[in-house]
Amino acid sequence: MTVITPLADRIVRAIRDRPQQFAETVDAHRDVPWPEFLRAWGEVRALNRLERDEDGRYYFKDSEPPTAN
Amino acid sequence: MKKSLRDFLADLDQAGELRMIEDTVDVRDVSALVSQSKRALMCNSLKDYPGWRLCGGLLSTRKRLALAMGGSENEVAMRFEEGLGRALDPLIVSDAPCHEVVRLGSEVDLTAIPFPMMHVLDGGPYISATMVTSKDPEFGRNVGSYRLMYRTPTETGIDLVSPSDMRFYYQRALDKGQPLDIAIAIGVHPYEMLAASFKAPIDSDEYAIAGGLHREPIPLVKCKTVDLEVPADAEIVLEGEILPIGWTADEGPFGEFSQISGDVKWNPIFRVKCITHRKDPIFYLLQMPWENDWLCAPVTEAAGLLALRAASVKPVAIRAPVGSCGYWTLIASIRKRPGEGKNALLALLSVAEVKLAIVTDEDVDIHDPDDLDWALTFRVQADRDVIIVDGARGKHVDPSIRAWELGKGGLPTTAKLGIDATIPEGIPKKFYKRLRYYGNDRVKLEDFQ
Repeated sequence: MTVITPLADRIVRAIRDRPQQFAETVDAHRDVPWPEFLRAWGEVRALNRLERDEDGRYYFKDSEPPTAN
Repeated sequence: MKKSLRDFLADLDQAGELRMIEDTVDVRDVSALVSQSKRALMCNSLKDYPGWRLCGGLLSTRKRLALAMGGSENEVAMRFEEGLGRALDPLIVSDAPCHEVVRLGSEVDLTAIPFPMMHVLDGGPYISATMVTSKDPEFGRNVGSYRLMYRTPTETGIDLVSPSDMRFYYQRALDKGQPLDIAIAIGVHPYEMLAASFKAPIDSDEYAIAGGLHREPIPLVKCKTVDLEVPADAEIVLEGEILPIGWTADEGPFGEFSQISGDVKWNPIFRVKCITHRKDPIFYLLQMPWENDWLCAPVTEAAGLLALRAASVKPVAIRAPVGSCGYWTLIASIRKRPGEGKNALLALLSVAEVKLAIVTDEDVDIHDPDDLDWALTFRVQADRDVIIVDGARGKHVDPSIRAWELGKGGLPTTAKLGIDATIPEGIPKKFYKRLRYYGNDRVKLEDFQ
């Protein structure tokens, strides 16, 4: 089981809830410093479970949620 | 001493073409600010990136490109062509500003670089102002420009969809199951960007072309972790390898140079092994599509001039309009001999992915849309003066070629159109005598109150 930070977990849950354009994910985390957001996005990417729909939205193919540390 | 990005910024400032912002700016907002500024922009304070600055929109107009090249707007193509003709081999130096800070191993972290948000539908933050160096054991060094999409602190996507020498190098490495080492310079003078954009023959060195444009050799420095060289005065350098995974990772969409928000593409991944930069680095945000298009224009125009001369046609002026992204259309006026309108069209249509070529006589001002329309109206018969070539090489970002119907890594084709708007053979020139106003040489409006 992959362990990720709470911020990455927040991003994962939001995308699981609804496929999102990257900018929508950014908009939802404007309170987070940009480098911190990018690190969390990197964690989400590293899960290797992100998929893209035909409009470029990110979504998760599977439904197993990762665990926040 | 060769001009750097910083020298060009100083030139812009002196010409009143640079706006400084001293307030602290969030990197997520810089693209919007650049797009709203009539001048090039320099942000001197970036939130969460102490010590970093960011510039953008440096070449968003032909005027600023002309400033970089030290001539008028209509001379840009000729100046670029002159530079091509006096290539100068680069120098290898040992001391380099781009090596003032070196980050290796666990210190490699792309989140320490102000990766900007650029467009609403982009698949991630992007670096757009790259000068990418690679090497092939047989064909030698190559330099090009390829966008990078942030993925993780050590990885980016890299757009290698279109045909290019580096795509060819990568394919050769991939066939052996090997990665391709690359080094990416960010923040260099426009001449280096122009040289990287030029589709030079595979055996020519883009650094030598940049040297020709500068009229002095480019100082290069050896990279820290890969057997490659980069401009010593670059602001930032990323060293690493393109993984041997082929076109398998999602990349994009990105605001393409075609002025359209692109599609998700399938591309390889670039893994970063070393980051170097100046002590007080300036990140260069190349604003899509305008900076890219104005950089494309002289490159396409110079390729058109070379093609015309190779066809023994005498060009007078040439233009790659920004409406065609400086890439897909070439309009040229020529000093015509019989038959050369068509020869010129064939030459211009051979340039890269140019899909519309128009040729006029030298009396037509191709920079004046009304004059061009006039020539198209009265010198063209569609059944005689139009050429269509089918099945030529195309480019994915043109939606009319339906690239989405291709498989991963597939290459598209396009049709090309040529219009000969020169005076047709057999029609006496007297039928094209322009109106002249009586007394115009003698009477001057400014002499009258």
